[in-house]
Amino acid sequence: MAREFQRGHKAKISDLTPGTDLYVGVQIAAPGLTFDISCFGLDANEQLSDDRYFIFFNQPKSPEESIQLLGAQAGDTQSFRVTLDRIPANIHRLSFTATIDGAGQMSNVGPGYIRIVAGGEEVVRYAFSGSEFTTERAVMLGDFYLKDVWRFAAIGQGFDGGLDALLKNFGGEVAEEQPAAQQPQGAAPSFGPPAQATAPPAFGAPAAPPAPQMPQVPQPAPSFGAPAAQAPAPAPAPAQPNPQMHAAPTIAAPMTPYGQPPQPPQYGQVPGQVPGQMPGQAPPGAPSPYGQQAPSPYGQQLPGVPQGIPQGAPPTGAGLQAALQPYRETPTGQRWTPQNQQLMRVDLTMGGTPVLARQGSMVMYQGKVDFSYKGAGFAGRIVGNATGQEMQLMRCSGRGQVFLAEDGAHLHSIELQGDGICVSAENVLAFDESLQHEVRRIEGHGIPGGALFTMQFQGTGTVIVKTHGIPVVLPVTPTTFADCNAVVAWSSASQVILSSQVRLRRNAYPGHSGETVNLQFRGAPGNFIVVQPYEV
Amino acid sequence: MNQQLAGFAPTPTAARMENHGRTMLKVAMASGQDLFARTGSMVAYEGFVQYEPNPPAVRQIASQWVTGEGTPIMKCSGDGLLYLADYGADVVVINLNNDSLSVNGTNLLAFDAHLQWGVEKVKGMAKFAGQGLWNVEISGTGWVALTSRGTPIVVDCGRGEDETYVDPDALVAWSPNLKVKGKRSFKASSLVGRGSGEAYQMAFSGQGIVVVQPSEDSTDRLRIRH
Repeated sequence: MAREFQRGHKAKISDLTPGTDLYVGVQIAAPGLTFDISCFGLDANEQLSDDRYFIFFNQPKSPEESIQLLGAQAGDTQSFRVTLDRIPANIHRLSFTATIDGAGQMSNVGPGYIRIVAGGEEVVRYAFSGSEFTTERAVMLGDFYLKDVWRFAAIGQGFDGGLDALLKNFGGEVAEEQPAAQQPQGAAPSFGPPAQATAPPAFGAPAAPPAPQMPQVPQPAPSFGAPAAQAPAPAPAPAQPNPQMHAAPTIAAPMTPYGQPPQPPQYGQVPGQVPGQMPGQAPPGAPSPYGQQAPSPYGQQLPGVPQGIPQGAPPTGAGLQAALQPYRETPTGQRWTPQNQQLMRVDLTMGGTPVLARQGSMVMYQGKVDFSYKGAGFAGRIVGNATGQEMQLMRCSGRGQVFLAEDGAHLHSIELQGDGICVSAENVLAFDESLQHEVRRIEGHGIPGGALFTMQFQGTGTVIVKTHGIPVVLPVTPTTFADCNAVVAWSSASQVILSSQVRLRRNAYPGHSGETVNLQFRGAPGNFIVVQPYEV
Repeated sequence: MNQQLAGFAPTPTAARMENHGRTMLKVAMASGQDLFARTGSMVAYEGFVQYEPNPPAVRQIASQWVTGEGTPIMKCSGDGLLYLADYGADVVVINLNNDSLSVNGTNLLAFDAHLQWGVEKVKGMAKFAGQGLWNVEISGTGWVALTSRGTPIVVDCGRGEDETYVDPDALVAWSPNLKVKGKRSFKASSLVGRGSGEAYQMAFSGQGIVVVQPSEDSTDRLRIRH
């Protein structure tokens, strides 16, 4: 299961995953707002000493392609590919930031996250929401930083200004050196190519539009990148690059010519998911660029143009395939692969062991898969349960892929490597047959149905747990209590005690029926419990 | 108060159909461009939009689909902005570009009236007709909006020899060129699928895509309320 980070958490990447080719996904959205998600490659002094390591919509990759902007996919608003071992030595920190394009404030932001995925599996996630922020217009989400080894830190630090202020923060002071430092490297060309690079992939098919834009490139280039301006005339006072540089990303004037490349990536993301993005972008400078390919871009609020096709067509590529692109199946490669938060795919061909799944949780399968009722052995152990809570399982065997989901509940895969976990029986969706499992009853007055059924898993394999909503993982302390209806799972080394605080609770909440029982957990440090925001 | 809610204001219209959040659809209406939408799915509108609950066109094309309660889709026409939703289901907007798509009747939210469309019972699945397992085949160039309970997934069929089997309750849409057949499940002893013993899957073969939702709940929430 992906580790959930809180603000300020840090970890070595190598502790999270052995891989160094990482996918970094950011989801952030708010109705009516558009976000620019960028990555700053900073030097040891946390300065953006090399502009080519400011990865954003206009510059989708670093020179040696160790950091690449991938666009929206797999539910992420923006995503990056970071190849740690190819990052040059002078880059000591990668800071991932999100800034609001235009007006707005971070407190409007809905739940979002930054996550790292390695080998198709999410290894860490830092979730945040707008309630942590106030009027900021930018936020530093998370950093990769080099301290002996690469590490990841969940930052979640708001920033009052927008992208310009962030840039100033990272590179403002550097501006003086830049003219000198950058010229030899030929900053101007370095800015040019990215602009071209952006355009074609974004626009997809149409080869024509980039061409007409090309001539423009030289012209905006100077206005955009400070170094470019400097290159021909190193003379100008250092003061000058400053404003220019900061002004640029603010989407002020200089941006407009460049407006073309940035737009499509934004649109590309949108299809179904993050609507806010699209229209926010609409006003600034979009019409003119689109005009080139699509005769009637925006103005058609009430379109005389059927379907406003021009709109949909260029960004997403138009058509069915493009519209459904964000929902594509993720490639195979692992036994258990989450397709999205609510769907899990198990590839029975890998690993070879059958899977036990809750009956009715199969939504689709491909290949030759046998489903059989898993009765007796398992059900037998629950005999004596008169309440009908027993769980019906089915055994999936054969070869092929089975897609599991239930009622749109969030799914989490927990990989056990010799350790144990107890899961409330209702929250088990599926598990590898190789795991030892055992059903336990927790009896007590006040538990609905007379007892709480839990399944204890042990051994090596994966358990899929479903939760309604995003769960919370709490460490077990001497005073950890959970509602027996909301608790999802706990590490099996912790001891469960039926709390005797029923009476207290009843008094505390007049009118309460008093039937609620709390479970108390005890255990050595390192144990945890998982609770969902949903009772029963 | 206003300031906090301001973030939810509608965004400038950029296309005929757009998402507003995950679960609401915003349609820019213009006269001459009619829209078919599920009856009862309108949550708000702005401007001058008229609704025709029992459009003759629908009666003609989808006569079998019409029940005593009337047609399940209505015709919307006029100028303005129309907001549609289906009880918090995710909305997926698709811009057909001379494509065609078969959509499960309960998962269809709206589509342009100028598209070609037809209704048929899902083959081999007569049993499910009572549950509303009608599929609407839409083709042409224009906009379609689907609903999905949870984030849907799109799977390619025709990868290898194997057929793709889908729980009918989780099925959202598929390419009409796929071959569909009902499959009564597996071994007599097995109980797959919701309920007891009603283990039906739909088997798809051929080249195309299948869209599936992560929930096996296809009950029709949008019934006309009298």
